[in-house]
Amino acid sequence: MLKWCSEPCARYMLGKGGKRKFDEHEDGLEGKVVSPTDGPSKVSYTLQRQTIFNISLMKLYNHRPLTEPSLQKTVLINNMLRRIQEELKQEGSLRPVFVTASQPADPLGDSFREAQPAFSHLAAQPLLPADLVSAAPLEACLTPASLLEDDAFCTSQTVQHDGPTKLPPPALQPVKDSFSSALDEIEELCPAPTSAEAVAVAAETAADDSKDHPSESSVQRPEGVPESRTAEPKLMDPLPGNFEITTSTGFLTDLTLDDILFADIDTSMYDFDPCTSATGAASKMAPVSADELLKTLAPYSSQPVTPNQPFKMDLTELDHIMEVLVGS
Amino acid sequence: MKCFSRYLPYLFRPPSTILSSSCHAEADIISTVEFNHTGELLATGDKGGRVVIFQREQESKQQPQRRGEYNVYSTFQSHEPEFDYLKSLEIEEKINKIRWLPQHNAACFLLSTNDKTVKLWKVSERDKRPEGYNLKDEDGRLRDPSMITTLRVPVLRPMDLMVEATPRRVFANAHTYHINSISVNSDYETYMSADDLRINLWNFEITNQSFNIVDIKPANMEELTEVITAAEFHPHHCNTFVYSSSKGTIRLCDMRASALCDRHAKFFEEPEDPSNRSFFSEIISSISDVKFSHSGRYVMTRDYLTVKVWDLNMENRPMETYQVHDYLRSKLCSLYENDCIFDKFECVWNGSDSVIMTGSYNNFFRMFDRNTKRDVTLEASRENSKPRAILKPRKVCVGGKRRKDEISVDSLDFSKKILHTAWHPSENIIAVAATNNLYIFQDKVN
Repeated sequence: MLKWCSEPCARYMLGKGGKRKFDEHEDGLEGKVVSPTDGPSKVSYTLQRQTIFNISLMKLYNHRPLTEPSLQKTVLINNMLRRIQEELKQEGSLRPVFVTASQPADPLGDSFREAQPAFSHLAAQPLLPADLVSAAPLEACLTPASLLEDDAFCTSQTVQHDGPTKLPPPALQPVKDSFSSALDEIEELCPAPTSAEAVAVAAETAADDSKDHPSESSVQRPEGVPESRTAEPKLMDPLPGNFEITTSTGFLTDLTLDDILFADIDTSMYDFDPCTSATGAASKMAPVSADELLKTLAPYSSQPVTPNQPFKMDLTELDHIMEVLVGS
Repeated sequence: MKCFSRYLPYLFRPPSTILSSSCHAEADIISTVEFNHTGELLATGDKGGRVVIFQREQESKQQPQRRGEYNVYSTFQSHEPEFDYLKSLEIEEKINKIRWLPQHNAACFLLSTNDKTVKLWKVSERDKRPEGYNLKDEDGRLRDPSMITTLRVPVLRPMDLMVEATPRRVFANAHTYHINSISVNSDYETYMSADDLRINLWNFEITNQSFNIVDIKPANMEELTEVITAAEFHPHHCNTFVYSSSKGTIRLCDMRASALCDRHAKFFEEPEDPSNRSFFSEIISSISDVKFSHSGRYVMTRDYLTVKVWDLNMENRPMETYQVHDYLRSKLCSLYENDCIFDKFECVWNGSDSVIMTGSYNNFFRMFDRNTKRDVTLEASRENSKPRAILKPRKVCVGGKRRKDEISVDSLDFSKKILHTAWHPSENIIAVAATNNLYIFQDKVN
């Protein structure tokens, strides 16, 4: 984790020169009073947010105590993660999205863009594998599409909130520009939509209409309490015996697979190279990581890790689509 | 602050400390410090489940300058480690809190608690023993009845003082979550124990039942965003208590209103300062300790960076706010990463409620005089404290040129934290727990 954080830092901290260590990078970030609306410091705000997000995840997942972990600490970390998530969702909902089910090329881009806020930490990398995961059939894939639905629902909820704690979502245009070109290339290569994307598009529409999406997992909170999506895919239970139900999985599920898949990956492999080396490398790593991930998380799970099946199906889909893309 | 200009430091260590000063046994880390109501006794609890009680020496006319040192009075093992078989997790024996009961007779009573179980201990002295039994001799062996020719009356003879601690009550199995506070009611018949989500009311005589008076557990645990962090009874009104939360709020409840005090009578919260908002705003607002003033008019709260004094009659903002170590505000991300941001500092009032004290890092502790608005930073360390030496005020320099004797923020040792302190109820004597060492400082007035 230390390694990959330093790369984006070197990329964006122009004028600093040289590779900076994690500690320096952190202090540099914290020293500023960053507001998300400023130009250049908005990027460091995003980096800072991402750093905190990763730290929070690691705290929750790496903690293997002999005694019960402190509930207060867990609740505070969870709240932090939820807040960051909602910010990301808000940012995602305000970006221009092409919502047309009729155009085959765009849904791919839509789901890509929709997935964007969740993966903003991978700012420098094209999120093709993420894209492809969401391209898996809806019924086979518990994670992406259903959570895109939740995403939409929750986004509409949070937009209604008064939310004094929510900072105005920045327009992440400079960051996205690098993806737009990648996006175009992807769209050229992979024209066929799948049912998942169609659902994602429908979710987008639902978000715009602020429809009350009947979802068993989402709870309507008129008081404005931040959304906490229950884990309908209760894949991971990182808090054994703590929250009694899989609490933290609620907010993680839309980010889970891809977020964690690539959390540990060395960014040197993700040097922005449109479509070629990065995707190849990532796709190769994806199947391995997912399995390992499930194995490591199995002990935490109070329920059998049934989504193994869908994951495996995702990965075969992944391979297939990668072959198509790479043209091999 | 005139009265704190000179201090007389003493150094006490639990018996089983490792000799080297650089490392220490984990079990010796002091986890709570508390004076009794007269100040004659000082109890400490540690991570190994032991309680050590110090007693103040009687002042002697012959040596007036040795104004009552504290010596070890009793040591006993209060809690043992347990294992929760259902969850396959250990239950730590660490003593979270000790609270004394007021003394009515020769024996002293205290409550000590770990994460799950509260125990009432009786500490009594024995300095006489009966001698001259008829049926057994002095060693306790039975005498042969046929050999007894005369009868005698046993008499009490003085013996070496023996202090024994016996567990009188064990209040167990009432808390699903970790107990963070206990508080004795002013009626001295009941007390409360608070965990992360519930507060229970106990009668001292009854161990198999407790009343639940606060329950903030949501029906769906996934909606949990706030926990109880501390609770305390009002010092005079036996129906009133407060509890603090991880969101920086304090609720005052009246037990006369309803059996379950889920609805507060008063709600204290300071509106967030938008200029200071950061990712960590919620975490640093989490209250780690709440203490009523001796007068009962004010309540003090400690969050990560500040100490606040609230007037019970003003709910919308605190009366006073004191910055403990504001220079850490720019380091919150690192402190979040190394978990220091979750450290739970306690705070204490002095006997007259005019000075408040709390701990910080690098073995520093801070005192704030509420009347003069002056504050001082002192350090509890072996190197700097020789017996009868005067404590020198310390200063942390934030940036720029560091003056001599100042310490820069980056040189602070975050592993040396003073979480637990105590103030004598009537005199200027303070007890400061620095990891596994207990420092007792007195105001030297000659």
